[in-house]
Amino acid sequence: MAAEFEARDFHARGVQIRNLRVSYQTPQGDIPAVNGVNLSIAPGKITGIIGESGSGKSTLAMALMNTVPRPGRIISGSVVVDGIGDMLTIDKESRRRAHGRHLGFVFQASQNSLNPLRRIGAQVLDLGRSHNVKDLRALIKRAKELLGKMGLNADRVLLSYQHELSGGMRQRVGIMFALVLDARVVILDEPTTALDMLSQASVLQIVRQIHQERHLTTVLISHDMGVVADLADNVVVMYGGELAEQGSTEEVLAHPLHPYTQGLIKAIPRISGPLDQAVALPGLPPDSAALMAHGCLFAGRCPKRLPVCGESRPTYESVGQGRYVACFRVAGHD
Amino acid sequence: MQILIRLGKRILAGIVMVLAVASFTFFLVRLMPGNPVAAKYNELILRGMTPVQAMDQVRMMYGFMPHQPLWQQYLLYINQILHLNLGRSISYDGVPVIHIILGAAPWTIILVLTGLIASFVVGVLAGVIAAIKRTSPTGSVLSLSGSILHGIPQFVMGLFLAYVFTTLWVIFPFGAPYNAALTPGLNWPFISSLVRHAVLPVATYALSSYGGWMLTMKSSVITVLGDDFILASEVRGIKMSTQVKYIAHNAILPLFTVFALSIGFMFGGSIFIEDIFDYPGLGNLLLHAINSRDYPLMTGAFLLITAAVIISNIFADFLYSVVDPRIRR
Repeated sequence: MAAEFEARDFHARGVQIRNLRVSYQTPQGDIPAVNGVNLSIAPGKITGIIGESGSGKSTLAMALMNTVPRPGRIISGSVVVDGIGDMLTIDKESRRRAHGRHLGFVFQASQNSLNPLRRIGAQVLDLGRSHNVKDLRALIKRAKELLGKMGLNADRVLLSYQHELSGGMRQRVGIMFALVLDARVVILDEPTTALDMLSQASVLQIVRQIHQERHLTTVLISHDMGVVADLADNVVVMYGGELAEQGSTEEVLAHPLHPYTQGLIKAIPRISGPLDQAVALPGLPPDSAALMAHGCLFAGRCPKRLPVCGESRPTYESVGQGRYVACFRVAGHD
Repeated sequence: MQILIRLGKRILAGIVMVLAVASFTFFLVRLMPGNPVAAKYNELILRGMTPVQAMDQVRMMYGFMPHQPLWQQYLLYINQILHLNLGRSISYDGVPVIHIILGAAPWTIILVLTGLIASFVVGVLAGVIAAIKRTSPTGSVLSLSGSILHGIPQFVMGLFLAYVFTTLWVIFPFGAPYNAALTPGLNWPFISSLVRHAVLPVATYALSSYGGWMLTMKSSVITVLGDDFILASEVRGIKMSTQVKYIAHNAILPLFTVFALSIGFMFGGSIFIEDIFDYPGLGNLLLHAINSRDYPLMTGAFLLITAAVIISNIFADFLYSVVDPRIRR
C-alpha cells in the first residue's frame, strides 16, 4: 500500500456533468437549485464557478460528490469522473471510497469541518483507517509535508484541537485533509469567504501552487469575481441554478457575452480608482416563482431584455471554442 | 499543580455551600407545625412519669435542651456538623442519625444506581439510533417508546409491574428487599434472593427514566448531525462506524452533567418505588422522618442529599474537562 502513494499517477482527471438536476423539497413544492446543468470540467485546469448566493453553485459542488444534504435531492443526470464512473449511480461503498481518496473537498465552512473533540492528527489517522491506508506513518508524514508547505508548524498543528487554531490555519488544515490521500480532483467551495484579506491571499497562493505541483483538476467555487479571475483557467457563470456563460477566463473577462456576466464584472470594486465606478447589479436573484416561469431567468434584471425573453428561456449554446452562453442577444440564437 | 489549586477552591466552595444549605434546612424544618419533643414529653407523662423524670429522660434521649432558644440550637447544630455529628434520631429513640442513614443508603444505591446506569446506557443507545434512523419506522417506534415511558408516572409503572409480575404471573417476589428467612451475608441463596427481589424495583426505575435519556440524546444527536463537521467527514469518506462515534461523542456531552447530577440526587431515594416494593432505602427513611417530625433525621437526610449533589457537581465539572478539550485550560 505504501507503494501506492509513491507511484502517483500524473494523469489529471476530468469530470463530465450531464443534465444534472437537483431540487430542494419544501412545503411549497420542489424548488430547483440546479436545473439541467451540462458541464465538462477540463482535466488539469482550474475551473472557477461563479454566481450569487442562491445561484446553486454550492449545491452543484455537493452534487459532484453526490452528498447533497437534505432536503436537497438529485433528480436526474450523471456526474462521470474519469477513472471512477458515475458518482450518482455507483454503489454506496465505492462512493465513500471515492470521497477523500479521489475527490477532495474543501468546505465553505472549513472553519468547523473538524471534530472538535479530537486532535487533528487523530483525525488524519481516522481518515487513513477509513480508506484502508496500511502505512499510517507515511500518511502522517505526508500530512506534515502538506502542512509545512502551507507554512504551518506541522507538529504543533497535528497535536492541536480545532479550537486552538485560527481561521486561516483551519482552512489550510481543511485543504490538507482534501489532499492528504492524493485526490486528483479537488473541489473548493468558497475556500476564502470566511477569511481576512491576507489569509485569503495566502490560501489562494497555496491552492495555485499545489494545483500546479500535483497536476490536479481543481474546481473553485466563489461569489468573488476577483478571486476567480486571479486563479481560474476557465470560468463558468451560474445564475438561478442554470449556466449562463462559460469560457476561458481571459475571454470571459475581456468580452463577457451574457448581460449578467457584464453586470458582475462592472460590479467588481477596484482599489485604485473611484469607488463609484463599481456598479451594483440592480434587482434580486430570481425567486421560486421566477424559477418556475417560462422566460429567461435574468429577464427581470436585464438591461437589454427583448420581448422574447419573457416568453421562453434561451438555450445554452456553443458560440466558439469552449465558449457557451444562454442569451437571445447573442448571435446564434435567431 | 494548577488543577489541584482549582480543585481545592471548588471543594472549599462546596463546603461553604453545604453549610449554607444545612442552615437553611435547619430553620425550614423547624418551621413545620408540631413539636416532637413536647409530644414525647407528654407521652412519658401519660406513662406515669413525673415531669422532672420525663424532662431528664427526654434530655438524655435527644442530647439537647428543648427549651434552648432557636439560635443556640442552631449554633450547636452547626458545631456538631463540623464535627461530622448529625445528632440522634427522635423517632428511633436516640440512635445516631448517621447510623440510620448509613443503614438505609445501600438499599437505595442498589436500587437507583443500577436503574440509573441501565436506563442511561439503553436510553443513550436508543437515542442515537432513533436520531440517525428518524425517518424510518425503527426511529418512529423508538421515539414513541421514549415518549410513552417518559409520560407514565413512576408509581403507576411500579404498581403495573407489581401487578403483572407478582399477581398475574407470579414470576418475581413482592415486597421486602430479600427473603427474611435467609441470613444476610455473602452466601448464594441470599444473593440470589436479593437479585430476584431487586428486579422489579430496578426495572420500574429504569423504565421510567429511560424515556428522558432517550429523548434528550435523540435531540442532542440531531443537533450534532446538522454540524458542519459531520457533513465534512462524509465528504472525506470517513467510515460510517467512525462517523457514528464522532456523533455520539459530541452528542453525549450535555448528558454528562445531567447524569452526574442524577447520581447526586440518587441519595434522595426514590420514594414511590421504595414505598411500593417495601425497600428500606433513603426515600422511605425520609418519608418516615417527615411523618414523625424527626428533625435530626430529616436534616441529616437533607444534608446528605445536598452534599451528594454538590460533590457530584464538582465531579461532573472535572469529568467534563477530561472529555471536552475545549473546557481544558
